[in-house]
Amino acid sequence: MKGLRQSALLMSASLALLLAAASVRLGHSEPRFTSAETAAEVTFNRDIAPIVYKYCAPCHRAGEAGPFPLLTYEDTAKFARQIAVITERRIMPPWLPEPGELKFAGELRLSDEQIGIFKRWAEEGAPQGEAKDLPLRPQFTPGWQLGKPDLVLHAKKAYTLAASGTDDYWNFIFPTDFPTARWVKAIEIRPGEKRVVHHANILLDRMQSSRSQEKRPGDGFPGMELRIESETFDPDSHIFFWKPGSLPHVEPEDMALRLEPGNDLVLNTHLQPSGKPESVEPSIGLYFTDKAATKFPVLLELQNDKALDIPPGDSHFQVTDEFTMPVDVDLLAIYPHAHYLGKDLVATATRPDGNKQTLIHIPRWDLNWQAVFYYAEQVFLPKGTMVEMRYIYDNSPANIANPFRPPQRVEGGNRTTDEMAHLWLQVLPREDLTIDGDPRKSLEEAIARHDVTRDPRDFPAQYNLGAMLQARGETQKALEHYQAAAALRPTDAIANNALGGALLSLGQAGEAISPLLLAIKGKANYFAANYNLGNAYASLGQFDQALLYFQEAARLKPDDSMAEANLGAALAEMGQLDQSKTHLERALKLDPKNSIAHGNLEEVQRRLAEKPNQ
Amino acid sequence: MKGTGKLTGGLRIFSVGLFLSLGAFALSGRAQNSSKGVVDLDGKPADPIRRTDGKIVVLLFVRTDCPISNRYAPAIQAMSSRYGALAAFYLVYPIKSETPEQIRKHLSDFSYHLRALRDPELALVHSSQVHITPEAAVFAGDGRLLYHGRIDDWYEDFGRARRAPTTHELSEAIEAAIAGKNVATAAAPAVGCFIPGVS
Repeated sequence: MKGLRQSALLMSASLALLLAAASVRLGHSEPRFTSAETAAEVTFNRDIAPIVYKYCAPCHRAGEAGPFPLLTYEDTAKFARQIAVITERRIMPPWLPEPGELKFAGELRLSDEQIGIFKRWAEEGAPQGEAKDLPLRPQFTPGWQLGKPDLVLHAKKAYTLAASGTDDYWNFIFPTDFPTARWVKAIEIRPGEKRVVHHANILLDRMQSSRSQEKRPGDGFPGMELRIESETFDPDSHIFFWKPGSLPHVEPEDMALRLEPGNDLVLNTHLQPSGKPESVEPSIGLYFTDKAATKFPVLLELQNDKALDIPPGDSHFQVTDEFTMPVDVDLLAIYPHAHYLGKDLVATATRPDGNKQTLIHIPRWDLNWQAVFYYAEQVFLPKGTMVEMRYIYDNSPANIANPFRPPQRVEGGNRTTDEMAHLWLQVLPREDLTIDGDPRKSLEEAIARHDVTRDPRDFPAQYNLGAMLQARGETQKALEHYQAAAALRPTDAIANNALGGALLSLGQAGEAISPLLLAIKGKANYFAANYNLGNAYASLGQFDQALLYFQEAARLKPDDSMAEANLGAALAEMGQLDQSKTHLERALKLDPKNSIAHGNLEEVQRRLAEKPNQ
Repeated sequence: MKGTGKLTGGLRIFSVGLFLSLGAFALSGRAQNSSKGVVDLDGKPADPIRRTDGKIVVLLFVRTDCPISNRYAPAIQAMSSRYGALAAFYLVYPIKSETPEQIRKHLSDFSYHLRALRDPELALVHSSQVHITPEAAVFAGDGRLLYHGRIDDWYEDFGRARRAPTTHELSEAIEAAIAGKNVATAAAPAVGCFIPGVS
């Protein structure tokens, strides 16, 4: 009996975000304020409006996240002094990275000259100027920014944000139910009341694993960071992110995301109370393409949460991590992530020739304005490039974002009051034929090995390394890591199923029984574990037991040809040839190419023919 | 000392002696214009600092479109409920272009149950020596300005709020004023939206 079903990969995904920077179609050029004109009066119509239209109005207009509009002279003059102060101090527009050698798409960074214009305008009493100087007001697209979506999903239930209190994090699950797999080139997030949503991002949950966190289906659930489980090799690849003023990111046609029937999209939102109760009811719009992807990016995660043990009062606690690229990649986007103690975040790349380049530097981290940053041009990182993250944390009382007063010891973790040291890189691997022709596997294995080496107690890393080794036939080596994963979480269903499956494929069916039983105990209606356990008992010749688990597997997945085939085979071994024939025929109906079912059906028909007539 | 005649109603027995000269001095400068242009939402003139029934007066300067003053709404309302029996609370809207209709909607949206005044000529702004929303002023029953400044230290800077405030200057000023004690912090800098027309 063949057809061993194995689980593959458990992905651990935390926040995965993407910036699509604001850009507006404008009928004007940059302000034409030059040094020759410094003596001239600064006016709204000539000097201020072009800057405000481009950098402020995308958020500061009706229905958007900005708390007040900045479109007209009257709107803007009311805040002239405010604008001068907060632009001079670079609080607005919000843009965290320091300018550097590498440019990001949609940089929201004012020049020193533009800041000087705001300052002079406020000092000079905010004059309006000549009507003829006023450029055309930008035309913003109402509603969906990318046009009518192919599919709109609405939150099942609105979340009510309290009038006051600290930041809040809420997750909405959007189930999908289209009949066949679709290729998604963009997801537009409409977060609901934009003035309270600081940012939002979508995580793909292929196994509906987040649903267990809802008290009632459709309720949504709290939490800042999510762990999403997956049993197929499908590394995180895309980031769908919303932040105020950002346009949705559209993937190139050849880089679309595959959505399978039944996949859930989980929207993670960061909310800030406004002073009155607010109802948050997001919807998301999906944009499909008929073209299947031919390029498969990967989200690489550097992190060192284990090193986070920040003493109270320490204003300069450093955490680092480094990772060497096992294949050539192009870096598309970068997303640094820390919580409230983060202070100075930097990532660098050192190429094999010794050339070191800053990938991003955020000298004044502010969780509220975190974003994913796309490079204006992709950055080539050849095999052997070492990417390093170096994060500084401030756990002193001087850090006003410090969640504790007086400061307390803070460690790594998922709660808002815990800390994080993560750096995501969206990379597109270049061709590499070392493992199955899929360079993503080299990357995933390298990152899992890197994580295991740093922290043998890293459960997802142990599991993922096992899965990657098994995927390339190194089952004996995989076993070691599955054992480590199961030892770390003795009741984890997915780890136990993988361990049982590996033992089974190494011919140790007797040893496989115990972890597979734990897997079934740990997760209700677990098809793969029932299927594997049926195989384990069948390998031991215990067909009565095997029959029970194959029956359960076939019940859980009635359209699975292999479950039917093995059920038929077990029945045949039990001498129940007529029933066996029925199931084998069903297996072939589900998959006419099922060679095991073919062979077994021939055998059963031969035995039936030999059977004496009764 | 212009206007002292008008003030005698406010300068009752308790304000003789030590405070008499101070009170008269502090009030003299603004007696003429402390209520110029101040109206309630029906357009009726109002003079909250001088018509106090002897209660202390708390003015909270807000605007409909300032995100920081809006985030303070629950705290302001709670403070008014807490001290309302012993202090007269007013919301003051100093932006000339904010109409009574906009203000009524704002009161309703943010569940305010306070008396609201408009101060388009900035008379109360000047009397209170404020320049930000949200910012507060506390006056004694005799019209002396006892405190002006922030509500607390929730906001350290634009866009940088603590999880919770660690100081409570306004509450402390109100409690001291009610108890007739000296106000410890006479002024504390506020973070918020600049009131146009005030330097």
